[in-house]
Amino acid sequence: MNYHRPEENIRIDWLTVIIYILIVSFGAMNIYSANSTIDHTFIFDLTMEYGKQFLWIGVAAIIVFLILLLDPKFFNFSGYGIYIIVIIMLLILLGTGVINKGAQAWFKIGSFKLQPSEFAKYATSLALAKYLGTFDVKFLGRKNIAICFGIILLPMALTLAQNDTGSALVFVSFFLVLYREGLSGWYLVIGLYMAALFVFTILFPSLYLIFGILLICGAVFYFFKKYAQMLWLSLIVFFASAIFILSVDFIFAKVLQPHQQQRILVTLNQDVAEYYPRKAKEFSLFKIDANRKDKKASKRDYSYNVRQSKISIGAGRWVGNGFNNGTQTKAKLVPEQHTDFIFCTVGEEYGFIGSTLFVLVYIFFIGRLYYMAERQKNVFSRVYGYCTASVIFFHFFVNVGMALGVLPVIGIPLPFMSYGGSSLFSFSMMLFTFLKLDANRVNEISSVY
Amino acid sequence: MERNGKLLVFFIVLSVIGVIFITRLFFLQIVDTSNYYKALAYGSNEITIYPARGTIVDRNGKLLVYNDAVYDLMAVPKNIKSIDKVKLCNVLQIDTIELNTRIKKASRYNAREASIIYKSLPFNIYSQLQEILYDYPAFFIETKIDRRYNINGAAHLLGYMGEVSEKQLQVEKYYKPGDTKGVSGMEKSYELYLRGKKGKRIVLVDKFSRQQGSFAGGKFDSMPVAGQNIIASIDLNLQEYGEQLMKNKFGSIVAIEPATGEVLSIVNSPNYDPNVLVGQSRNKNFSALLLDPRKPLFNRALKAPYPPGSTFKTVQALIGQQEGVLFPDTRYPCHGGYHMGSLTVGCHSHASPLDLESSIQQSCNAYYCFVYRKILDNPRYSSVQEAYIKWTQYLNSFGIGIKTEIDLPEESPGIVKKTQYFEKVFGKNWRSSNVISLSIGQGEIGLTPLQMANVATVIANRGYYFTPHVVKAIGDEKLLPEKFKIKHKALIDPTYYDSIIAGMARVCKPGGTAGRTGIEGIAICAKTGTAQNPHGAHHSIFIAFPPRDNPKIAIAVVVENGGYGADYAAPIANLMIERYLATDKTKTTRQDMLDRMLNSNLVGSSIYDAPKPDSTLRKTLLPLTIKP
Repeated sequence: MNYHRPEENIRIDWLTVIIYILIVSFGAMNIYSANSTIDHTFIFDLTMEYGKQFLWIGVAAIIVFLILLLDPKFFNFSGYGIYIIVIIMLLILLGTGVINKGAQAWFKIGSFKLQPSEFAKYATSLALAKYLGTFDVKFLGRKNIAICFGIILLPMALTLAQNDTGSALVFVSFFLVLYREGLSGWYLVIGLYMAALFVFTILFPSLYLIFGILLICGAVFYFFKKYAQMLWLSLIVFFASAIFILSVDFIFAKVLQPHQQQRILVTLNQDVAEYYPRKAKEFSLFKIDANRKDKKASKRDYSYNVRQSKISIGAGRWVGNGFNNGTQTKAKLVPEQHTDFIFCTVGEEYGFIGSTLFVLVYIFFIGRLYYMAERQKNVFSRVYGYCTASVIFFHFFVNVGMALGVLPVIGIPLPFMSYGGSSLFSFSMMLFTFLKLDANRVNEISSVY
Repeated sequence: MERNGKLLVFFIVLSVIGVIFITRLFFLQIVDTSNYYKALAYGSNEITIYPARGTIVDRNGKLLVYNDAVYDLMAVPKNIKSIDKVKLCNVLQIDTIELNTRIKKASRYNAREASIIYKSLPFNIYSQLQEILYDYPAFFIETKIDRRYNINGAAHLLGYMGEVSEKQLQVEKYYKPGDTKGVSGMEKSYELYLRGKKGKRIVLVDKFSRQQGSFAGGKFDSMPVAGQNIIASIDLNLQEYGEQLMKNKFGSIVAIEPATGEVLSIVNSPNYDPNVLVGQSRNKNFSALLLDPRKPLFNRALKAPYPPGSTFKTVQALIGQQEGVLFPDTRYPCHGGYHMGSLTVGCHSHASPLDLESSIQQSCNAYYCFVYRKILDNPRYSSVQEAYIKWTQYLNSFGIGIKTEIDLPEESPGIVKKTQYFEKVFGKNWRSSNVISLSIGQGEIGLTPLQMANVATVIANRGYYFTPHVVKAIGDEKLLPEKFKIKHKALIDPTYYDSIIAGMARVCKPGGTAGRTGIEGIAICAKTGTAQNPHGAHHSIFIAFPPRDNPKIAIAVVVENGGYGADYAAPIANLMIERYLATDKTKTTRQDMLDRMLNSNLVGSSIYDAPKPDSTLRKTLLPLTIKP
């Protein structure tokens, strides 16, 4: 094994760095657009969010610089350590965190609120890479899978416990990494099937749905009855689906909180005021209270975000209104525009051409990360690269999808674009850790795998 | 190193999502334009800057219609924070309780939109308010423009303004909800010139409608363009005089300058003050006018067809000559009227037989029954019907039975029946005797006062008229629409007018039907008319023009239920003519006649019913005893 010498053989992937700088600068421009007012136009005005964002970018540059100075082995070495520290922080948060926007997800340090769940993604990536890289896991056995699931689900559960559903959902992206590392594609298929069932359960009466699945399973069994195992397979699929449907019913009605129910209903184009009475009439094991009074008023609030977002993007037309000229943006009609709905600004001020270009650049960026991950010579770097790419991918997919009104409103930021120190730091750390690993790959001897 | 094909799967998923997003973007931004329009409505407020509406002056430059600025104190209730209400109330001269209730009321309507707190600020309060208003950021003054009319009559001529209806808003994109436009009279017909061009200022607003600066640096803002001023052809002095004369009478006066077709006055009675249809009480007053049994909103001069009575004989005499069935020396006997079998058209006693000139002077009914039968039974035509059609063509060339196309809205074409109508009433082969009453302007014939004045114009001009118009010039360039410069020729040779005019010149002289109404020194040519009608006493009608050569004014007067033509219409016409021609606009040589006109009251003497076109026409044909 070669010893690392910083002066030599460091090949930073400058293309990725350039795209990173472009996206961060573009993000700052959009935050300025969305956040500045006629009274506040000075770009370094620290009383305004856009001013602070410039500060965060400066801090991020320092963090990036520090990470590039570190020995690449540090990440492998400290993988579990960072993971444990973050888990402890999340546990402490459960008791003491600052509540903001309904989630108990922030540590308050002076005026700066730190969001450990942002760093949990980084820590989980390192831990997962470390675990898969340490052992000779050519094929993922059940035990390996169980441990991987554990690594992923522990911080996810803790984040969920803080009521931060959006951040918790991000951990789903790690299953993509497991798929790359040998997890059967069936897991993903089953996952998609469950997601589809979940949506259908909300849209249609549960009883009809169960009956429909019974018919399909019966037909499959009938046509393939010469295969003995088909009987069992059909029965298992049917009962599993039925139980899942009923539990979705239960979870949706009794476990999810009103605002979460509404976000899902709004995305599925359901009228909340009309939903509960309808659902209450259906046969269900879990009776839903038809007279939930608060629904009508709050339905508007969640659909408002999406509607304003769509209007704002729609206002851009072909070329958009130009920087700092978006009427919806300047009028601050989209709530959370500088954070989770930053894509609206892109849509309105740069139009279809600008937004398409942005989407293409971003997808190229993520694609390049996957490509770079694949070219790593050791498992640790590869798994870590896939984790980084997948987390950014998931954020991009959900954030832009929500702004475009094709996904539920899940409050997660657009990496490198949205306002927020924690998010910018954690994504920059993640990205440059990977770039550091990638730069060092020529110095690594090829791992066994 | 483990290489597997899974990287490709990731690339495919990435590409699919990219395609979905871009497709969605294309749909939201390019295909679905509704978002774009919603955005225009949400994010910006277009503040309309209203231009000054054009003024209207009379032919001598006297102001008829102008604008007055009205100041309203507005406030956005939501933005009213802690303010010194006492100070504000002192200036507004209301108590704080009153102010609070007004704010509360505005707040109930819409807390985030500006509402009127104090309507039409008096000027002294307005100026004091200007000084303290910077302390009250939620309050501002909005300037509005109201129309003012410098005359308390001529309402039908000048017209009034009204809010643009929802239906019109869809058709005419220029207007926005709440805008006003001219809905009658000159205000309507010259709306396009008077209104000018609105300016606009687009400001960005946030979700609370608070202004956030100008949109796109004022790139789309525009300044208003003031409306064009209009010179009306009306003579204000004559108009007011006519309205005085028509007080307590129902009817109408129309005076036209024959050489140009310019309308010198259009008097309707009953009339109303156009100023009542301005401002706050507009709607209340409007419904009062609408419900008034005297129907003051009805524009008689343009919309009420009256049987022209004997004034129509002038037209008949001209057509008869043109058709070659009547000559100046043609004489017909009259023995108390026209007798044909059981049919009798009565006449007053006068010398008999008369020639053409005297028949006009004496207004002999029998004479025109003979003339009209000659016209209809003319062997030149194969049938009465054909002759009748030819006759209606003559009438149309006088502007009778068709719209004159005057530049005022809602004009009636009057009544001239088609042959089919008579076929229905009298059967397929109706004869000239069936329609004999038309010979003396009774029955199935109706002329609006405007058309009567136009007939006088044609005779005065000896064969032509210009489309009557109430506008003299538009804008700074003093333009007159080309259509008012076109000569419309009557289908009568100029030579045939001589004997008619000679007869008309004798009407206001001793021995004429209006012999006692003439005015010294004015060579007036006139014709009286006394129209039988089913609404009570006869309508008094008079058409005239002076002087005989180069006439200065052609006038038609209709006084409903006024009796003989010489009773009311003739004196009023003569007084109007005297006033118009005189240099001294205060004196009259016929004080007796003026006093009689001013003191007479015909309103109390009859139950009034506004004339409706086409009502119970046949009744007028029954025993006809036509008076001069």
